[in-house]
Amino acid sequence: MNGMPSIRRKPFVRSLLMIAVLMLGPASAPAAELDAIVARGELVWAADQEGGGPHVFLDPDAPGRLTGFEVELAELLAAELGVQARFQQGQWDRLPLLLGRSVDCVINGIELLPDRRRDYACSRPYFAYGLQLLARRGGSLDSFERLCTPGPGGHWRVGVLTGSAAEAFLRSRHDLTVDVIGYDGTIDSLEQVQTGVLDAALMDDCIFNFYADRFAGLQAVGRSLGGGYYTVLTSRDTPKLSAAIDAALGRLIADGRLKTLYDRWDLAGRQQILALRDATEIPTAERRTVGQLVATTLPLLLSSAGMTVLLACLSFPLAIVAGLGVALGRLHGPAWLRPLLAASVEVVRGTPLMLQLYAIFFLLPKVGLALPALVAAVAGLALNYSAYESEIYRAGLKAVPIGQFEAALALGMTKWQALRHVIVPQAVRLVMPPVTNDFIALFKDTSVCSVITVIELTKRYSVLALSTGRILELAIVTAILYLAMSWPLSLLSRRFESRQEQRA
Amino acid sequence: MITIAGLGKSRGGVPVLADVSLRVEEGGVTAVVGPSGGGKSTLLRCLNGLETFDSGTVSIAGHGLAPGSHPPRLLERVRRDAGMVFQQFNLFANLSAVDNVALAPRVVAGIAVEDARRRAHGLLDRVGLGSFAAARPATLSGGQQQRVAIARALAMEPKVILFDEPTSALDPAMSAEVLEVIVDLARGGQTMVVVTHDHAFARRAATQVIELVAGRITRSGPPAAVLDS
Repeated sequence: MNGMPSIRRKPFVRSLLMIAVLMLGPASAPAAELDAIVARGELVWAADQEGGGPHVFLDPDAPGRLTGFEVELAELLAAELGVQARFQQGQWDRLPLLLGRSVDCVINGIELLPDRRRDYACSRPYFAYGLQLLARRGGSLDSFERLCTPGPGGHWRVGVLTGSAAEAFLRSRHDLTVDVIGYDGTIDSLEQVQTGVLDAALMDDCIFNFYADRFAGLQAVGRSLGGGYYTVLTSRDTPKLSAAIDAALGRLIADGRLKTLYDRWDLAGRQQILALRDATEIPTAERRTVGQLVATTLPLLLSSAGMTVLLACLSFPLAIVAGLGVALGRLHGPAWLRPLLAASVEVVRGTPLMLQLYAIFFLLPKVGLALPALVAAVAGLALNYSAYESEIYRAGLKAVPIGQFEAALALGMTKWQALRHVIVPQAVRLVMPPVTNDFIALFKDTSVCSVITVIELTKRYSVLALSTGRILELAIVTAILYLAMSWPLSLLSRRFESRQEQRA
Repeated sequence: MITIAGLGKSRGGVPVLADVSLRVEEGGVTAVVGPSGGGKSTLLRCLNGLETFDSGTVSIAGHGLAPGSHPPRLLERVRRDAGMVFQQFNLFANLSAVDNVALAPRVVAGIAVEDARRRAHGLLDRVGLGSFAAARPATLSGGQQQRVAIARALAMEPKVILFDEPTSALDPAMSAEVLEVIVDLARGGQTMVVVTHDHAFARRAATQVIELVAGRITRSGPPAAVLDS
């Protein structure tokens, strides 16, 4: 303990240290250059197997074996460099962040876009894709132009892969009456179109062609739009590696090996144009000053902070009421109800919030209950936290002296009158500090809701950080916003506590 | 007003009350005395159903209680007619003095809020605490709390009030102010059963005295006969 106090007493010094560590973080892990890769005999490439086919996915016939046209491409590229290919799993929209930390390149349907040209080294194109709009067979959405006028339910709800070119394309088209909803997996949006939660999905044509059999109820609407190219991402710190990959791709295109690969995967379609393409034909986005960055992102971050507040303020009152109900049921309800409530509390506490949100959002529609994302998010958070609140209330109710209950009964009150007028008000006061504490925790847990397409502050941060490449600056802005929200709650909680100490 | 016949109760095989029989006449004050652990409080709590008994019968304010657990509806009626004052006061910690007194008339008897509070103010005046209506229980002395508790019991206009060692947690000065209130009620003809260690009080206020030792009535009769022998 002797060495610690000097830092512990100075939280300011500690936070400075933290910021220093954050700033040093990325720089202190230099990317492996070509020589290092050859020396170690391995090219580590990153992709997201959850992204699915035909890119990278688990072989349904041999579970555990990774397959896909990009798996084969990675092996070809590695062979060209004279090394073995080794796969590294990552979440798709965060794959580029892995560059320079244990990963040499990213090969996973990464579209060649101006933002990516600014932040990473992009190889020449290795695949040409188109964007395809998909909707239910026989539905009212029969052409892309229909998206320009409102649908039967107002705005058309269109699902996309978060961070994909499809998302960027839809968001840039201000002439459309659509709500763009981002998903973490490519086929999640197809599922949601099938169950009717979404009106349509927009994705790379090769993905839908691959899954068309599985989603027989869906059809391609109109011809594929624009589109672009996939590129292999490498770090800008490894120019020799980038050049070697470019050259290797050139050889694979020139001698027809890439075409053979695409023929085997039935992807050949438009790939003959690859021989003529180069990364530099896509412009490089400009780097903005911190002032411009904050000016352009702050409104978005603030509105997402509003979503965070909305989620927390809608779900927590529900959690409190449900938690109190469960606690009362367990202590004073009929005998048959008590074990049921105890078991459900254990189930809810014993499973992750993310899983519960998934079940509510993706599984309930399969039994006919399709909840909008915001409703599902509020329901999930309320369900999860009600289990914790019920345990707090149970302790609080038991902490009220039995004499209070007897005195109420002795006046002729029923059990429920005694609880309502005497016991619960005292228990509520007792549990105020731990409940406020949980409210702060819930505030931060709202970030999990991004898995079911709700864009709150953390999700907005991660999307903006990836699209602007300004991870640290935006992290600081986001952290300040979170603190601005939770700080008043902390003060409130401390006030409750000191008031209780005075009472005791 | 109260008739107890052959009341018996045991806890874990040990008898707590054995063959207890007694009558309390309307307007009478019965003091229950005896050593600690003799079953005095248990007897009292059997009368308003806070505890059950194993054998015998209790008739209180026109309601009959049988051995074993009682139907909730019956208990609510018994307790409206039989108020109770506890050793530890048990004032509702979340309510002011006047709301402690007004709560049961409001939620149990269904009296309008203003009427209940008016009645509560009157009762606080009667126990000498008219100026403490807004005070929280924690800010009152023990004696003041017990007087509020008596006012709270009176608010339901019970036919009988059961006192469970009402002054045992109080110092002599505070005991005196509480006893003064109880003696005053006795003069007014309120039927009461008072479990107490205070023989002087029993002599002064009781119309009959019961001595309970090891769950049995060992002596009973007028105060002088029981306490002086």
